[in-house]
Amino acid sequence: MAEVIKVEKLTVEFPAGGAGQQTKVAVKNLNLTVSSGEVFGFLGPNGAGKTTTMNVLLGFVNPTSGSASIFGVDVRQPIARQRIGYLPELTYYYKFLTAEELLRFYAKVFRIPKDQVESRIDEVLKLVELEHARKRLIKTYSKGMQQRAGLAQALINDPDLLILDEPTSGLDPIGRMKVREIIQRLKNEGKTVFFSSHELGEVETVCDRVAILNQGELKVTGRVDDLVRENQMNLEKIFLEMIGYKSPVTV
Amino acid sequence: MMNNAFALAGIVIKELYRRKDFYVLFILTALLTLLLGSINFFNEQNIARYVKEFCLLLIWIASLVIAVTTTARQIPAEREQRTIFPLLAKPVSRGDLIFGKFLGCWIASGIVLVVFYVFFAVITGAREHHIHVAAYFQAFWMHWMMLGVVVGMVLLGSIVFAAPSSNSTISFVVILGILLVGRHLNKVADSLAEPTSSILYTVYYVIPHLEFYDLRDLIVHNAGSAPWWAVGVATIYAMVYAALFQFVAWMTFRRKALN
Amino acid sequence: MDDVPTKSSELKMASPRLILLLLLASAFSLSTVLAQWHQNWAGNRSDNGSALAVVMGDSRRIFANHFFTKADVYFHSGYYPSIFDAPKQQERSHMEEDLTQTHDDEDEDDHHAHDESCDHGEEHGEAEFLDKPRNIIDAFGRNFYITSHSHLAEGEQREMLPWLKIAAELDPQKVQTYTVASYWLRSRLNKPKEAEQFLREGLRVNPDSYEILFELGRIQRENYTNPDNARNLWELALLKWRKQESAGLKPNEFNYQQIIGFLGALEEQQGNVVKAIEYFEALKEVSPAKADIELRIEKLKVASEPQ
Ligand SMILES: Nc1ncnc2c1ncn2[C@@H]1O[C@H](COP(=O)(O)OP(=O)(O)OP(=O)(O)O)[C@@H](O)[C@H]1O
Ligand SMILES: [Mg+2]
Repeated sequence: MAEVIKVEKLTVEFPAGGAGQQTKVAVKNLNLTVSSGEVFGFLGPNGAGKTTTMNVLLGFVNPTSGSASIFGVDVRQPIARQRIGYLPELTYYYKFLTAEELLRFYAKVFRIPKDQVESRIDEVLKLVELEHARKRLIKTYSKGMQQRAGLAQALINDPDLLILDEPTSGLDPIGRMKVREIIQRLKNEGKTVFFSSHELGEVETVCDRVAILNQGELKVTGRVDDLVRENQMNLEKIFLEMIGYKSPVTV
Repeated sequence: MMNNAFALAGIVIKELYRRKDFYVLFILTALLTLLLGSINFFNEQNIARYVKEFCLLLIWIASLVIAVTTTARQIPAEREQRTIFPLLAKPVSRGDLIFGKFLGCWIASGIVLVVFYVFFAVITGAREHHIHVAAYFQAFWMHWMMLGVVVGMVLLGSIVFAAPSSNSTISFVVILGILLVGRHLNKVADSLAEPTSSILYTVYYVIPHLEFYDLRDLIVHNAGSAPWWAVGVATIYAMVYAALFQFVAWMTFRRKALN
Repeated sequence: MDDVPTKSSELKMASPRLILLLLLASAFSLSTVLAQWHQNWAGNRSDNGSALAVVMGDSRRIFANHFFTKADVYFHSGYYPSIFDAPKQQERSHMEEDLTQTHDDEDEDDHHAHDESCDHGEEHGEAEFLDKPRNIIDAFGRNFYITSHSHLAEGEQREMLPWLKIAAELDPQKVQTYTVASYWLRSRLNKPKEAEQFLREGLRVNPDSYEILFELGRIQRENYTNPDNARNLWELALLKWRKQESAGLKPNEFNYQQIIGFLGALEEQQGNVVKAIEYFEALKEVSPAKADIELRIEKLKVASEPQ
């Protein structure tokens, strides 16, 4: 299977926040591959370095050392992004636009042929259930609606690879289920999905493979089924073990 | 490149007409001009030049306010509101972003100028019973070219300085400084002692001479129009500076980490 | 979610501040309207107490001078030296020079003033404030502003009036503002009534101004051909002048010559030879053109002798 994402010996350091502090190592010597057609869960506690890794993949942050490529193209080339859909964490979209206008703008950037734009917009808005609000300014949206709009823009170009940073955050239970369905559907269409999440139950149901990151270091990576079978416990237990969490009750 | 830049420019223009700033400034300009124009001076009809001068002054101030503030907030707003992330995750390069923002702000200020100058032409036409089409067009065109340099400069500032308000303030000081004393810097330099004199001369040759683009005196005093070749040369001069500022902005922004 | 409005308000902060700047700039120009309204409201009360004066203080005077100069700039159709151009700043603005010329010969006055104002520029060297371009930027820049000397065409002098009016509003003590405006109104724009009204406004604030009284007299004499009123006004002007002189205030010599010169001419024309001679004798004392005046006195004496 072709490698869609390839991360090799990636290290990202941030300059020290305050005086006298050491540089902050956000990602340490990370190796990761995601193959075509996979749904890959990227796990780790807060501050583990998930978003930072994704930022490298999209060219927002330059690696201190190591390299990363998408579809075999170095991530610094904008070309690598034609086939990607990206949903950032905590993002607000142009508030003075309506969802429709926002999607039309992104469609233009992707050079989607004019005669396909409107049907594509209808499609994704229907998928994320925002049709009723398509002509409203984004600034009037609730948090969950904004998240849906974000998902819609990530899907507008019918991408082969989706990079989703906590796609279910801020969504209600139905919204979460919907996202799971979407991921499942994309998988059935043969797309690759790389996403981070804190919802381990959800990860367990949709992911083929996971990686668990702690303090910038890769703790474990493998197929979900294999991990569960080998360790004889569910993903949540594995996760807690990997990050070295000791329950005060069991101690 | 062009496709992305025009797509981005469209967003900037949409933003401008969905915000109140422009309408406020236009209505203010129109009201003040009409108010001043309605004053009776010694029962003398058809006094036109002071109204023209005042209206043009307001147009200049308003256009600079719009161009500078609109441009200054573009990239900081993209970063603060994090819209830059989904944007740059698409096949949009940082060069596209800078050029697109430039184009958007420049075209938007051009649209604003058209509205203002049409108002000006109507006002003067009513008073002087004559509109100097060629001169007015030149004034508009040169004004717009100057705003191209201004937009480029402020765009660069918005990448260099963190806060849009400090960028606006610094840009304003620089722009007004050039407009007011740019023409005379060499004379000032002549009157100074050596090290300062040479420095000032260098500044004189390096700054974009925005005062070229100020044709207000010509149209206030009905002094005809400027030679067209000079307008052409000034257009090229402005484009060179606008391109230069964008290039430096791109150089600075190209490798900048975003978060 | 909560931080969204904060962020955007921070971004918008710059524009209200700049709108404020715009408002301030326009406020100065609008002060003309306000000052007028204020004057009506304040009536003739002493100007010292006016709110505007307190608020603006001495800056009013600076602005008044600025606008007075602006009128002169308009008179020169925008061709005017900046502070960087004129190391040899002239004492008087050019539009005043026309005013202070004594035009004895009224018939000649009309075309004469216009022609002369065209060439007196060269005499005063004012056309040369722009010397040869110093470099390519200087040379190229000259395509975009006014680089030749000209004066307002006949009838277009009205364009100066707003600035004079504003200057007077800002600094009602500046007497030239009234006399210059009056000169153009009565002699070029055929508006003696407005000229007189403006001078009266000036006189209310400056009751001791012999310049204003003299101008008022000229309107009576030249526009209304009312020699009696003119005489009264000029005599009053002379009185004011002498009063200032005896108070040691050093009033303008040239104005004194004008007043007695015009009084002399008036009495001469009215046939009051004795009085005329009296004035001319006084003029002879101070005038540089002693011989001419002597001649005129002789003529008067000869003409009156046969009676
Ligand atoms: N610009 C920055 N400057 C300094 N340190 C940073 C910067 N961005 C991130 N970090 C640090 O890098 C580490 C990894 O952060 P990152 O955002 O990648 O975590 P994450 O795994 O996405 O966490 P979360 O689950 O909270 O989203 C954190 O310790 C964070 O403080
Ligand atoms: Mg994160």
